[in-house]
Amino acid sequence: MEIITVKDLTKTFTYSVKEKGLRGSLRNLFARQTRQKTAVSGISFAVDQGEAVGLLGPNGAGKTTTLKMLSGILYPTSGEVKVAGYVPWERQREYQRRFAIVMGQKTQLWPDLPALDTFELNRRIYQIDAAEYQRTLDELTSLLDVRSLLQVQVRRLSLGERMKMELIAALLHRPEILYLDEPTIGLDILSQRSIREFLHYYNQQTKTTILLTSHYTADIEAICPRSIIINHGSVVFDGPLAEVSEVFGHKKLVSLKARRDLDAGELAGFGTVRRLDHNTALLEVDRDGLQGCLQRLFGALPVVDLDVKDIPIEEGIAYFYRKAGVGAQ
Amino acid sequence: MKPAGYCYIFGMGMQKAMAYRADFFLSLASCIFPIIMQAYLWTALYAAGAADTNGYTYEQMILYTLLAGITSRIVATGFENDVAQDIKDGGLNKYLVKPVNYGSYCFAQFAGSKAAAVGFLLAVTAAVLGGASLLLGIPFEPVRLALYALSLALALVLNFSIFFTIALLGFWLTEIRQLFGTISIVIMVISGGVFPLDIFGPAAAAASAVLPFGYTTQFCVNIVNGQLTMGEIGLGFAAQLFWIIVFTLAHRVLWWQGAKRYTAVGG
Repeated sequence: MEIITVKDLTKTFTYSVKEKGLRGSLRNLFARQTRQKTAVSGISFAVDQGEAVGLLGPNGAGKTTTLKMLSGILYPTSGEVKVAGYVPWERQREYQRRFAIVMGQKTQLWPDLPALDTFELNRRIYQIDAAEYQRTLDELTSLLDVRSLLQVQVRRLSLGERMKMELIAALLHRPEILYLDEPTIGLDILSQRSIREFLHYYNQQTKTTILLTSHYTADIEAICPRSIIINHGSVVFDGPLAEVSEVFGHKKLVSLKARRDLDAGELAGFGTVRRLDHNTALLEVDRDGLQGCLQRLFGALPVVDLDVKDIPIEEGIAYFYRKAGVGAQ
Repeated sequence: MKPAGYCYIFGMGMQKAMAYRADFFLSLASCIFPIIMQAYLWTALYAAGAADTNGYTYEQMILYTLLAGITSRIVATGFENDVAQDIKDGGLNKYLVKPVNYGSYCFAQFAGSKAAAVGFLLAVTAAVLGGASLLLGIPFEPVRLALYALSLALALVLNFSIFFTIALLGFWLTEIRQLFGTISIVIMVISGGVFPLDIFGPAAAAASAVLPFGYTTQFCVNIVNGQLTMGEIGLGFAAQLFWIIVFTLAHRVLWWQGAKRYTAVGG
């Protein structure tokens, strides 16, 4: 069942520009020049209840703007959105009790007080029953392993610890929909993994609908079976992340190591040389001619090691990032 | 959110104000120094015969200066910079997504953050009134003291409403903090927080009766120092309530319009 329906959503911002230097500043004081930027351009998609969907895209693609409109922070310029039957920017209290948003670069915690105080405040804001609150808090602090940090002033916590507290604050009222905007940004590898594992587990256990933006492919791979790639404000891909690289499905990468140094000239006949470093090389070859290519390689060169791989997902994503103005697939 | 929730925010505001001990005690001390300086200034002016105060005696002026100085600090705001910053850098997001009223949230936090300082300043007020009664023989009627306390509470709400309304202009003016500095000084003077406005004659007194600012400081002080009749006090309370309603309506309109313009910059 669809819980999020987005149709032709558009958001345009007006911003001012200034020429460089003092002259530009003076001119700007009296005659400000403005420009329009379309951050989100008529995107449409739907998300089913319990689904975990990743929103991918380069900086400025419109991912965060989309989340802000879905959570009611921003009014759209045009388009329609229904989330659980509500129009987000009407900011109805009933809707606000049914979702939560965590923004990696913003905090809802009071920095000068322990996180526990913000949790208690959220209990009152969302009118959570005291026993239910305690049960949820115990469960979340145990899952995220932060029980010993509950009484530490927030500003004294590490970034990873703070993000775990942000997640707890967001989940105390058991939202049906969870928007996550780069929840692992700036975190070390262990913290990233811990948060990924938690979110995957939480989605599986509670069937909370998750809409996640991240620049880390690993976040999306771990949490979201489905991805939507947005670029230049439009949806350019919608499907499982693994299928992103199918755009390069007719290509394979051959990584080889020889007993002697190689040169580009002798490799050119086998495929496109992507990398060459003394006795190791990376070749891009056609999938259809792979078998013959490998036989010729073994015959022509003193190969000691060889590996055949798919084009990495990141390259598929990068392809879509570069691709502009293409309709949804 | 239920009223108990806002009470909890009030408590968190208090906790936040007391989180840093040195800052807390210095902020209390800093309330007193400017008032003492003003008292010395008036003493020097009266001693030199340079004070043209439209009939105020030295004792009346010192009492007014002390009470107005304390009152203006009791009702002083300071939250407006936080509101402007929230609007400018996207900090408002966290309030827009929750079932809370931002204005009530700010007021509860503001009142909580001031509570300890207000307690301290009320103790200073009691000391000033006790001293004036003992040294100058000025009697203070209990009913006027009670009305003074009530007027202070309304003045606090009124001053909050005025500055909250101004702060919401941040939706239209990206950088507004310079405006706060200027407006704070002007309001401090035209509210009677530095000297009684009637020393400038009847025109100034009439203007202060019509404008809202005098009802944040001068009105409260004039209740306790006996300058107002009971009828004038009743009218003053009506004016306080009137201006609270006006500014509440104004900030609701600004919020309604401003929230549509809000750009929520930053990730």
